[in-house]
Amino acid sequence: MKTSTLRRALLFLLWGGAITASPAQSNTGPLVSGTVTDAASHTPLPGVTVIVKGSSAGTTTDANGHFSLAAPTEGALEFSYVGYAKQEVLAAGSPLAVALRPDLQQLSEVVVTGYSEQNRKTLTSAISSVRGETLQNIPAASPDQLLQGHAPGVQVSANSGVPGGGIFIRIRGSNSVNASNDPLYVVDGVFINNTNLIATGLGNQVSANPLADLNPQDIESLEILKDANATAIYGSRGANGVVLITTKRGKAGDKTRLTFNTYHAWSKAPKQYQLASGPELATLENERFINDGGDPTLRPYRPVAAGGRGRPEEQPTYDRLQDVFRTAATQSYELSAAGGSAKTQFYIGAGYFRQESIARPSAFDRFSLRVNLDNSVTEQLRIGTSTALARTRRNVSSNDNNPVGVINSALFPRTNLPVFNPDGTYAKYGSFDNHLALINNLNNDAVGTRVISNVYVDYKLLKGLTLRSSWSIDFNDMYENNFNNTLILAGQPRGTANSFLARDITLLNEQTLNYSIDFDENHSLQALIGNTLQRNTLQRTSLAGQQFPGNDLTTIASAATQTGSSSRSEAGLVSFFGKATYSFRQRYTADVSVRADASSRFGRANRWGYFPAVGLGWRLGEENFVKDLNIFQELKLRGSLGKTGNQAGISDFAALGLVQGGANYLDLPGTAPLQLANPNLSWESTRQWNVGLDAAVLHSRLLLELNYYDKYTSGLLLNVPVPRKTGFASVVENYGAVSNRGVEVQLTATWLKSAAVQWSTTFNVARNVNRIEKLAAPITTGSRDIFRLQEGAPLYSFWLYHQTGVNPETGDAQYQDVNGDGQLTVADRQLVGNAWPNYFGGVSNSFAYKGFDLGFTLNFEQGAKIMNMNRFFLVHGGTQSNIGYLAEQLNRWQRPGDVTDIPRLTTNPASNNYGGVVQNLSDRYLEDGSFLRVRTLSLGYTVPTAVAAQAHLSSLRVYVQAANLFTITPYSGLDPEVNSQSGVANTKNFDWATVPQPRTFQVGATVGF
Amino acid sequence: MKQILFRLFFAGQAAAVVLGSSACNKLLDPTPVQQLPADEAITDAGSARSATIGVYDRVQAYYQLNWPVLGFLPGENVRFNGTLNQFLQIDQNQLSADNVLITEAWTQLYQAVNGANNVVAALPGLSDPLLPAAEKNQLLGEAYFLRALAYFDLGRGWGGVPLVLTPTRTKENGQGLRRSTLAKTYDQVLADLTQAESLLPDIATRNRAVKASARALRARLHLYRQQWADAETYASQLISSPNYSLVSPYRAFSTAPFLSRESIFELTFSNADANLMWNNWFPSALGGQFNFQPVPAAIALLNDPAVGGNRAALLASTVIGGANVTYGNLYSRSAQRDDPSYVLRLAEQYLIRAEARARLGNLTGALADLNVVRGRAGVPASTAATAADLLLAIENERRVEFAFEADRWFDLVRTGRAGTVLGVTDQRRWVFPIPFNDLVADPGLEQNPGY
Repeated sequence: MKTSTLRRALLFLLWGGAITASPAQSNTGPLVSGTVTDAASHTPLPGVTVIVKGSSAGTTTDANGHFSLAAPTEGALEFSYVGYAKQEVLAAGSPLAVALRPDLQQLSEVVVTGYSEQNRKTLTSAISSVRGETLQNIPAASPDQLLQGHAPGVQVSANSGVPGGGIFIRIRGSNSVNASNDPLYVVDGVFINNTNLIATGLGNQVSANPLADLNPQDIESLEILKDANATAIYGSRGANGVVLITTKRGKAGDKTRLTFNTYHAWSKAPKQYQLASGPELATLENERFINDGGDPTLRPYRPVAAGGRGRPEEQPTYDRLQDVFRTAATQSYELSAAGGSAKTQFYIGAGYFRQESIARPSAFDRFSLRVNLDNSVTEQLRIGTSTALARTRRNVSSNDNNPVGVINSALFPRTNLPVFNPDGTYAKYGSFDNHLALINNLNNDAVGTRVISNVYVDYKLLKGLTLRSSWSIDFNDMYENNFNNTLILAGQPRGTANSFLARDITLLNEQTLNYSIDFDENHSLQALIGNTLQRNTLQRTSLAGQQFPGNDLTTIASAATQTGSSSRSEAGLVSFFGKATYSFRQRYTADVSVRADASSRFGRANRWGYFPAVGLGWRLGEENFVKDLNIFQELKLRGSLGKTGNQAGISDFAALGLVQGGANYLDLPGTAPLQLANPNLSWESTRQWNVGLDAAVLHSRLLLELNYYDKYTSGLLLNVPVPRKTGFASVVENYGAVSNRGVEVQLTATWLKSAAVQWSTTFNVARNVNRIEKLAAPITTGSRDIFRLQEGAPLYSFWLYHQTGVNPETGDAQYQDVNGDGQLTVADRQLVGNAWPNYFGGVSNSFAYKGFDLGFTLNFEQGAKIMNMNRFFLVHGGTQSNIGYLAEQLNRWQRPGDVTDIPRLTTNPASNNYGGVVQNLSDRYLEDGSFLRVRTLSLGYTVPTAVAAQAHLSSLRVYVQAANLFTITPYSGLDPEVNSQSGVANTKNFDWATVPQPRTFQVGATVGF
Repeated sequence: MKQILFRLFFAGQAAAVVLGSSACNKLLDPTPVQQLPADEAITDAGSARSATIGVYDRVQAYYQLNWPVLGFLPGENVRFNGTLNQFLQIDQNQLSADNVLITEAWTQLYQAVNGANNVVAALPGLSDPLLPAAEKNQLLGEAYFLRALAYFDLGRGWGGVPLVLTPTRTKENGQGLRRSTLAKTYDQVLADLTQAESLLPDIATRNRAVKASARALRARLHLYRQQWADAETYASQLISSPNYSLVSPYRAFSTAPFLSRESIFELTFSNADANLMWNNWFPSALGGQFNFQPVPAAIALLNDPAVGGNRAALLASTVIGGANVTYGNLYSRSAQRDDPSYVLRLAEQYLIRAEARARLGNLTGALADLNVVRGRAGVPASTAATAADLLLAIENERRVEFAFEADRWFDLVRTGRAGTVLGVTDQRRWVFPIPFNDLVADPGLEQNPGY
């Protein structure tokens, strides 16, 4: 029993360690005071952290740079401040005058790693850090979206422009087919749920991003753990990378600072669909009629006197889209207080955020409250909490793949058809609803309640040895109430209503024993062991009502027919882990870590998984032969290798052969086979190696970070297709493999860094090559099976007919005959591209002169393909009798000699132009989605302290900002950042009546009291 | 104070560790509360009943939308008026092997087969005093009947198919089992129907299988196999049964509360187990999606007093944007959502017998049967005098009698007239393609030629 031995050993260490604890010496001594200044400008530095070396006792400097604290006479004080080199001074000769030197090297910053912190110098992993302040005023609801373009190798793209909606985020590509590809988010030590709880069907779109429950303004820093050495400590949850979110905390000895931050923004759609007008549409329809062999005298748009619908030029044009898109407002208010005494520190933040969607009628708002408290009970014992409460409200509406969505109902109906019937009622055509009916009557209300809370106890057993126990809860609750009145299709025939309650709860208990020692100047060791117990429960209840007495009674209680259902699922995870970092002269560093996880989702024999990793770092720059070159201020080589696991995204009981209830008939209970058993089901695991280089040259003005990685995920948790004659379509098996290889580069240039002018630029770019290495059989997915997973190809590959051109003589589309059998069949469908960019990245630039600051961020992607379903539907050649045309249809072939890629209008299936075997699944609608976007551009002014003081303020900054000011892209749709069927696994870059990313103008102020 | 805190802290740690190790097993072995392990699915009377009901549910699943669509949409009565290309392909008789509706129907059919196989395998060995022998026979008979129905539909849709007859526990079930011939498939249907007929009760329930349902399906099977005498025999059993008679007017069989005396087997829906078929037929002004629209020729036929008669009730109309729009109204219960799926009706038995008799040379009998159906619809009696005229008259009668049910396409394929009537001259297109994805998953499976 290997596992229980390991468990016992760890338990002994935890428990045994506690028994041998003895109270350590407390630090007291005479008062030492002094002043801290900037070495260059000699101006006092407020807020510098002063700590008695080897203890937790400390303070921070006041507004004038003064400090005073008790320190042992022979002791040393450590001074640290963001942007400055750490300095150590002997606590002798009060008052001390300490001058800190600006530190241009971000290489020396402290990085939060799994369960510990580490100096970047000794880091052997690939970890990107993003400071909270660089993100906080971007007008987006959730923190993950803010990472866009800021961290190399992290691909972030909003699925749509709906506020609070889903986000596509991949750290170093996609590892998995069926299991989740989303990273693990850890907020102040709490593993948080990232399951969308909204049950209202909105058209294949993930309608809620659970991370939108976090207020970005509360965030101190985000660390993205990318390689296996960094993530293996998270074992089975680390394969997709880990995002550690650290929120703001008070500092010891800080005077309470009150900060008020607000902004207001106005957003608009940057682009609009170009539809064929009424007369154009009628011309196209007449042409289609004649091409189909119709009698020209009977063409549909002929004079009314001749029995037609009027001549083309007599057709009116109705612009429905102008009713849908609006100038949407965003507002954000945030008030925070931070400070602390030597014993107790606190951060309290309260925020309100409201954002309207540019497409009516959706909106999102959030109240959030955060309390972070830390208290030193004794010198050894420290307790504290990080607690966040949020209440969100979404007014959701369907779009995307949904004929009764708002955009669909405005975009697809023919432009010559009136919006209202002659009697004034809403006119509806084909499958579509009336857009105004939807805008005025949609009543889908989703209210989320979120509590993410952690309490911890830290006990210092010995010098350098700390035991920590923490208890956490992530409570996520979504309560939805929808009422569809009789004016909209969903409410037919007499009103319908739904009510959904979903509750996703994670309980977490964790113990860690952390040991840190510097043996002498040369050797230092950091070691950690711990265990985690985790339980997740997901419950859903739904109620539906049909047939209401009228449109004013909207609760299900009034419905004539009431039906309901509920479900519950549960999973547990038990883990033990340990890691150690040894560093010699901060020159050579070795890391080793291992985690053992047991998941309830797998059979007894396969439930334990072991996830080890090692990392090595060599600071070449410290070697004399490099120092002598006098080029590098830092030069470090890193390498790591490790294994992580994944079990997210499969059902809680995926290993069992099950029969499910609910297969009812005649209102009698029925059961039916649900899934096949697979007792051998086990972890999906990812092996990853990473080599990296960090360098600083030109007096640390230019920093380079380089990573190359190679990931291989095997034992994919895959829905392996089984012959359907078995009565099943698939079974979950560990089968298949996916690889991701890539390179990441980040360059940071500090052009100017003086007291008056600071100017720096960070540029990052990454390339990831994704490949399905092994697959039992090709798997198709998404609407119309447009995506196909196939061995040797990347995920998110488009499976379409390749149009070679339009025959200039006949006007018929020509397609590649892949198997050369002379006829067009499904065998001629092929993979014609994929949704992965060849490379992607971002640029951020900040420039400050005296009180002014100017910044911008760009992000870009190159080479990703997008399937433009709006063209698929609206360039239909006449095959869709209820759908209008995009103006693009006017470029169709008309007469011999015309050279175009839009074939002749016809509904004749034999031509395969728009219907037939091809069903319009032609790659003529697959487009290049490359883009370069000005994500933000901001100009701010910080009022001089003296002026602010006259207004009794400690600080004041005002700014204006533009977001998504412009986007350079060859893509013809509204926005290249699009993922309309985010709710469907293994699909990406699918554009279908989706809300685009808005262009936003913003003004804001940050006031310190 | 300090000491107390230390002790509290360590006590907490100790508690966590102890709880942790004992809680581990609980954490790691949660029991599903809404599913049953597959091997505990049929263990007593209650679970046997539920498992049988579950098979009806699967048959309901493919008869709600997919199977009627595959029956009427390739025919010439209805055109597709929506946006989903898989329907458009069916309408244009241009099926390809990646058609998602074909894949879905194929999957649902085999789900029904597997459900039935589970009951067929478990019931004979089950002994529960609460399950009387009569009921046990009934449940078993129902499973045989539903399996027969599924294999019959598979056969007339795709031709010969793999005949899986044991419940699936692992994905290897049926490994190496290739497609059988259509004759073998129909032989299996016959074998199951024979079993069903002997086991089922002889009562007049219309939404669960009884002896009469098995006989009616058997009459149809013999018709498809051109076994005219058997077809006549079995159809006669239904026609002469006191439990069944045509209801008048035509609309009566599809009027709530349904289960009319004409109905031999229909799948009942209710508001909690809703049939949303109406949604595909109603114009959006009435809350539907108007995916299926009767074509002008069919509207003319149905409205013709000499052809459609009171079958004009299959149509309704409304005014949209000032224009009159006609739509199909067979599935009309938009509020109650309880339109049944019609599987076997007595009118069909009359037309089966008429055709069988015409083939057997009993023209008078054939004409009489045909005119029973016409008489009920309120149209003048047919005067067809030759066998050929009679057969054509029967074919045309079926077109209007089952205008929106799962019949027209299969009927024309059966008689070999799909080329003449629908213009689908490539006979390879008279069967559906085997789903492309299943060919890849099942190496033993062969595609129908031409796809």
